[in-house]
Amino acid sequence: MKLGNLIIAGLTTGSIYAVFAVCVSVWYRVSNILNLAVGDFAMAGALGVDNLYRVKSWPLPAAIAATLAVVIVFAYLYDLVVLRLAQDGPRRQEGIVITFFFTFALSFFIDGVAKILFGTDVHAAPALWNGGSLTVASSLHIERAGVLVLACALIIGSAFWLYIRYTLGGKAMEACGENPLGARIAGIDTRRYRRHIFVGTAVIAAVFGIVESPITGFTYLSGATISLTGFIAAAYGGFRKPGRALLAGLAIGILEALLGGYVSAEYGDTVLYAILAALVLGWPRAMGFESAVSG
Amino acid sequence: MKALRSTGLVVVAGVVVVLVFGQQYAGSVFVLAVCYAIVTAGMAVQLGFSQQIVFSQCVFMGAGAYGVALLNTHFSMPSLLATPVVMVGCGVAALLLGSVVTRASGLALAVATLMLPLIATGYVSSAGYLGGSVGAPLTGNLWNGSSTESVAIGNGLITVAFLAVAVFVAVRILSSDIGLELYALGADERTAAAMGIRTPRRKLELFVLGSVFAAVGGAAYAGTQLFVPATLVDPTAELALLIMLFVGGRRSVLGAVVGAVVIQYLYGASSWVSVNILIIEGILLTVVLLVDPEGLAGILASLLRRLGASTHATPATGVPATTPVVVATPRAIPSAPFDPPAPSAPADPDHTLLTCAGLGKEYGGLTVLDDVTLALPARGLFGLCGPNGAGKSTLLNIIGGSVAPSRGRVLLDGADVTRLPPQLRFGLGVSRTFQTVHLIRDRSVLDNVAVACLTSHRSSIVSRIARSALAQARASAADTLDRLGMAAMSGRDVSSLTLESQRMVELARAIAARPRLLLLDEPASGLSEQQRHRLGELLREFGDMTCVLLVEHDLDLVAQVSQRIFVLAGGRLVFDAGPAEFRVSPLVNSLLIGEFAPRRPLGG
Repeated sequence: MKLGNLIIAGLTTGSIYAVFAVCVSVWYRVSNILNLAVGDFAMAGALGVDNLYRVKSWPLPAAIAATLAVVIVFAYLYDLVVLRLAQDGPRRQEGIVITFFFTFALSFFIDGVAKILFGTDVHAAPALWNGGSLTVASSLHIERAGVLVLACALIIGSAFWLYIRYTLGGKAMEACGENPLGARIAGIDTRRYRRHIFVGTAVIAAVFGIVESPITGFTYLSGATISLTGFIAAAYGGFRKPGRALLAGLAIGILEALLGGYVSAEYGDTVLYAILAALVLGWPRAMGFESAVSG
Repeated sequence: MKALRSTGLVVVAGVVVVLVFGQQYAGSVFVLAVCYAIVTAGMAVQLGFSQQIVFSQCVFMGAGAYGVALLNTHFSMPSLLATPVVMVGCGVAALLLGSVVTRASGLALAVATLMLPLIATGYVSSAGYLGGSVGAPLTGNLWNGSSTESVAIGNGLITVAFLAVAVFVAVRILSSDIGLELYALGADERTAAAMGIRTPRRKLELFVLGSVFAAVGGAAYAGTQLFVPATLVDPTAELALLIMLFVGGRRSVLGAVVGAVVIQYLYGASSWVSVNILIIEGILLTVVLLVDPEGLAGILASLLRRLGASTHATPATGVPATTPVVVATPRAIPSAPFDPPAPSAPADPDHTLLTCAGLGKEYGGLTVLDDVTLALPARGLFGLCGPNGAGKSTLLNIIGGSVAPSRGRVLLDGADVTRLPPQLRFGLGVSRTFQTVHLIRDRSVLDNVAVACLTSHRSSIVSRIARSALAQARASAADTLDRLGMAAMSGRDVSSLTLESQRMVELARAIAARPRLLLLDEPASGLSEQQRHRLGELLREFGDMTCVLLVEHDLDLVAQVSQRIFVLAGGRLVFDAGPAEFRVSPLVNSLLIGEFAPRRPLGG
């Protein structure tokens, strides 16, 4: 039953990667910007709820509502001030500066604020579904939070996939990233889509951080690591495809658990990253990277 | 000399700071900053100018530092002596690793190299002989002086000397002809390859260069800080390096140095700043990039330009001007637009230059080209038409070498070039333009044309520390511009030009290499009727000199200038005859006119 339990553990961590990968890829599709601060919104959500509930003794629903409200307002203001100046100004920024570095600076900023507000210790939001781990088929153990996490991943991933594939709004969203100027000429408000998806994915990340934190625990620096894993999983989903990002996240999680269980607990991650690097180098097209040398 | 000026500035500033503050806390902060500056100077060349986004500098910085620490503690080798050993070792390692990693481009390269710090972190924290998750043990000083003062000053001066060499090498390379190659690589890899630049080689050289710079920075770090923390190789260290580079200015070597000093100064400045360093870095990076994507160096440059503009009435060249530049009409060309191709071309104009034999191409299950066979002589202008999706661009890409055919062969002068990459076909006389304009922004018209005249393709990047043949390439580009009547615009920045002028610059670049085969992909798109007329005149002259294959949607233009026209439909060659038949052919009419533009009869 070792294999079964490893797969369950892998699915749990894989779901965490998957959700952040979906958030990164959906917003990249709209804005051509990689949100490297997505993990920091998750950290802010979890630590914010923990702080209000445990330290300030607020009731849990109020703590969650207040934290999410702060995330929404902050994300909205960030788009309104920084992204508008960077992307909608007279000098529209292009290339790696806008793709990586604004959200990267945002990640630093959020971490620094979190350090002041929440301190440097490991904390987590209270578990939303209390009780011991569930046991299936007598020897498979599933954490309750793990079930919630997997459910969240599947719901969020498939919802975005369906939205893009079957709704007019989803198509319009796609157009924003493919050709921003063309989309605007066709009457699509690209700025509004960029803002809505940015705020939306920030909220999803924060909610997911609250759900997920009982499993991993967060410090003010956890956000960067989460963003990194989300970015990597999004990369293997081709950056623009939330459905594939979901699958890539789950696959990486399972692979990580299996390598840790069967190859080496110490060097499992090292082997995992080596495999991931080999995949990019060997089959860039299959992994969804646009090859620079193409017709 | 630009390189000597920059280096002199670094030496003077560095020596003054070390001598004045050397024994104080500020001095030690400065020396640490200089160690990082050596790394960021290499990053400016690799990431900034050449746009090769790699996240592996911290790994090589760590390798340099750990290498010095190991040689020092286990073999009692002095740190200063260990530095060149480590440099060579890291260079060899970078060569091996780079020959695998740099096969990727763009985001794939970024993701592949991102794995390196992750792998290194896992390895270092588990490897006992490296000190595990704490770090490597004490190392010896770079300079073993008799007193603490002389050690501090000696360490500082040696580190500044390392930085001076790094800056000199970086600026020398960037201002050479290979520097222009790197600009072209940074602008667009595919265009660079089509201009003869051996992009795989340059990317590998850049990877080695960036890694060696990082290793030297790491060695200096070990020799001055006397301890190598394991955090030196983890991804957050890479992020810190990137912040330094982007705050300072990614496309300025001195900017990258200044960025390292500014950020390290913030780390060490005061306890309040270092407690809130994350917030300050976040805000600083955002504000700097919003003001100027080129960082502090860009801000400073535009301030200087503004100062210069207010003292001198005439704007400097390269500043976007509002007055349009009129391209001289081809009639004004005093002599032939370019010299006939290189002497290797046979004199007989009916000799077959290009042969495409049974070319086929499939993408997945989709057949884009099916059994296309054609032969072109050494002189003349040949049109290639077809509805959208007929396979015209694919055929052009296969002839140019950027796409490999699924079946069939491409022969140039009877020699099989099917497997030859575009940069080598350029050397055989194949030159091309792309559907959309691909020029190097922020460089002058002259330099953009000079890209096609470079003779540095076979040289190594290191040889450019000593000499550069950029002046010859510019002279030959100026010659071409002169013949085309475009000499007046040669100093202009290409981003300030109209679309017509940009297309003219692309044409000038394509013929500047005196090609035997010129591939033009829709040169008339986006041009007005009058501009098309001027273009047509020019194309006809090109056809008298060399072999031109013209892909174009403007059927009037094609019929006017071509001596033979090919029509592709559904990946098959369906028509091959002269312009007279082209005008009256019912097949051409139904394929290209009837359905698509019923109200526009084919003129002429």
